[in-house]
Amino acid sequence: MSEAISVCGLTKTYGSRMVLDHLDLSVKSGTVFGLLGANGAGKSTTIECMLGTKQADGGTVSLLGQDPRRDRRALFERIGVQFQEGDYQQEIKVFELCEETACLYKSPADYRALCARFGIGDKLKNTVKSLSGGERQRLFIVLALIPSPELVFLDELTTGLDARARRSVWKTLEDLKAQGLTIFLTSHFMDEVEALCDEICMLKQGRAVFRGTVEDAKRACGCERLEDAYLMLSDEEERE
Amino acid sequence: MKRFFVLLKHEMKLNIRDMNMVIFAVLMPLVILAVLGVLYGGKPAYDGAPFTFMEQSFGAVCAVSMCAGGLMGLPLVIADYRERKILKRFRVTPAHPALLLAVELSVYVLYCAVSLVTLALAAGLLWRVHIRGSAWAFLGSWLLTMLSTLSIGMLVGGVAKNSKQAGVIASILYFPMLVFSGTTLPVEVMPRAMQKAVSWLPLTQGMTLMKNTFLGQDGGGTLAPVLVMLGVTAICTGLAVRFFRWE
Repeated sequence: MSEAISVCGLTKTYGSRMVLDHLDLSVKSGTVFGLLGANGAGKSTTIECMLGTKQADGGTVSLLGQDPRRDRRALFERIGVQFQEGDYQQEIKVFELCEETACLYKSPADYRALCARFGIGDKLKNTVKSLSGGERQRLFIVLALIPSPELVFLDELTTGLDARARRSVWKTLEDLKAQGLTIFLTSHFMDEVEALCDEICMLKQGRAVFRGTVEDAKRACGCERLEDAYLMLSDEEERE
Repeated sequence: MKRFFVLLKHEMKLNIRDMNMVIFAVLMPLVILAVLGVLYGGKPAYDGAPFTFMEQSFGAVCAVSMCAGGLMGLPLVIADYRERKILKRFRVTPAHPALLLAVELSVYVLYCAVSLVTLALAAGLLWRVHIRGSAWAFLGSWLLTMLSTLSIGMLVGGVAKNSKQAGVIASILYFPMLVFSGTTLPVEVMPRAMQKAVSWLPLTQGMTLMKNTFLGQDGGGTLAPVLVMLGVTAICTGLAVRFFRWE
């Protein structure tokens, strides 16, 4: 299986604070990878350095075999991104935002079908700001999928969604994965990570404290639930 | 080209929904025209002048929408998109900065064009203002003045850190040019020394050219102002694309 993401020695400092400390990541094509960690552990910074929206101080990143800064325009034809704080033009409507996004790609997906699939098909004519938090969150997942990407980044994908909406997002992502999509996500919900992720990496203060499958993590800690393993793995570090 | 027109369509709609530019770039020039019309009507520009005061001022009133769009609207919209991280979202798409700048520029070109048409209709019908020179020469100087003014705005918007900074720079450029370049206050009524000083403002060059082509008079050479405005347009556009900031 080929590698969709390869990150080597990624390092980033803000002033004197090291937020990413020689991080290595490898994600195989067609799998779901979860990046976990407390708030401020460096998850969003990792994603931004990988995408090239932040300049890393050191290390190399290769996405789908290309350099995200040098090959930006060719690469983002094949990659979808949902940032944690998605913003939009003040008065824009849902279908306008979708069309503005879709027109940038050579062969975009049908945004109407995607919106319907994510339960906002009846909101196309509404302004984005009038949507509920959960609806807006789903809209930004739709925007990330409009490119018909081979690789998608989802930063805190289901924050603000109710239980039913989360389940339906999981289902859709599983379907897309079955079609060969590679997914890189961050999440604070361990049930979500357990349901979706083939492999995970736990970050603590910019360093990887665990890398492997969900089962590996549970076995390593002797826990039945990932949440306990997660807390234990981050706690152990604290005691050292 | 398809992406350009889809973006332009939606960005134009968004801009009209905001109403600011409809007021400042389309309605305000009409109000200024009406005020001048009420004050001067069909009076000649000076005793024995072959053209009316209104005809002499027509080019200047056309520049109001250029100032509003280029020095207020355009830089603020781009800086606002940067601050709201809308540009950051575009950064992770195949969009080129030049595409985004061209779309926003075109929005304001359309405002200026609508303003030109409404002003020409109103001035022609209500105050019998007629172009005395070549229409093509006037349109050419209008286009050049507009592009050079808008390109300054594009540069400010393209490189300003945030909308606050863009707002400050925009105001510094906007108000002096609006008041002193002859847009609202005719250059002819200013004292000599002041006329000399304002002739250095970039917009004044374009205004003089528009006035001369509208009146069909030879106002001391067209080559210099044409070159100045072409230079400003080329330099500002080049720098705006080259030093474009996504965040």
